[in-house]
Amino acid sequence: MNLRGSQDDQLNALFQAYRDACPAPEPDVNFMPHLWRRIEARQNSAFSFRRMANALVTAALAATMLLGVYTAVPHNKAADYSMTYVEALADANSIDTPDIVAPVRLDLSEASR
Amino acid sequence: MLVDFELIKRAQGGDNAAFNEVVLAYRKRILGTITRVIARPEDVEDVAQEVFLRLYFSLDQLRTPEVFEPWLYRLTVNAAYDYLRKQRRRPEFRMSDLSEQQVLMADAVAGGKVEHEEQYQKKIRESVDALLGAVSEADRILLMLKEVEGLSLKELEKIYQVNENALKVRLFRARQRVLKAFGASPKGKEPATAG
Repeated sequence: MNLRGSQDDQLNALFQAYRDACPAPEPDVNFMPHLWRRIEARQNSAFSFRRMANALVTAALAATMLLGVYTAVPHNKAADYSMTYVEALADANSIDTPDIVAPVRLDLSEASR
Repeated sequence: MLVDFELIKRAQGGDNAAFNEVVLAYRKRILGTITRVIARPEDVEDVAQEVFLRLYFSLDQLRTPEVFEPWLYRLTVNAAYDYLRKQRRRPEFRMSDLSEQQVLMADAVAGGKVEHEEQYQKKIRESVDALLGAVSEADRILLMLKEVEGLSLKELEKIYQVNENALKVRLFRARQRVLKAFGASPKGKEPATAG
C-alpha cells in the first residue's frame, strides 16, 4: 500500500475513533425547561418588536394623512400665486391711479388747420 | 424517521405537546452530532437548544413532513456553523495549544492521573480537532457529517440543497487538506491510531 493510501486508511480510522470518543451526552434534566424559557423569551421580544413596529406604522400613516389633508386644503397664499404677472400688476395699480395714465398728447398743428 | 408525520403536522399546527415530543425524540441525536462537530462539550447543550429554538420558530415553513430530518440537520449545521464562526472571532485558550508535557502538568495540577482510556479519547478528540483546523468551518461540518456521522452523499445533497458533484468536489478538497495536515502531524507519521 502506498503512503497516501495508508494515510487515507489511518485518517478513516482516526475519524472512526473520534466518533467513539465523542458519544452523545445525556441531556441535562433542565434541557426542556430551559428550551421553553428561551422560546417564551424569544416570543416576548418578538411580540414587543411587533407592537413597536405597529405603532411606527400607525404613526407614519397618521402623518401621511395629515400631510395629505394639509396639501389638499386651498390656502389664500396659493390663490395669490396663481395670478399672472399682468393680473397682479393690474390689481396693484387700478385704472384710476394717475401715475400709469399716459400723458395726453395734443397735436396743436392739426388743430390750427 | 424517529417520529411519525402526524406528530410533525400537529407541531406545525402550534401543538406544543407535539413539539415537545419531537424534541424529546431527536435531542439525543442532535446532541451527538453537535458534540462531534463543535468539539466543546460545555457548549453542546446551548447549541442544541438554539437548534430546537430555530425549529420552533420556523416549523411553519416546512412544506412537507417527509423532508423533516434533512431540514432539522440543516438547522443543526447552521447553528453549529454560527457557533464555530463566533468561536473563531473569540479565540480561547485550549488544551490542544499546549505541548504534551504541559498537558500532563495541567492534568496533574487538576487532580492527578486520569484513566488511560479517557486520556486516549481526549488525545483523539484533540488530534481531530487540530486536524480540522486546516479547513474552514463550513468544510469542517461537511467532513464531520460525511466521515464521522456517516451520512451518505444523497442525504448531504438534501441537507445542503446542492448537487452531488459539487459536494463531491468540496469533500475531496477538504479531505485533501486534512490529509496534508495529517501527513505533517506526528500522528500521521505513526503507524496506527489504535488505542
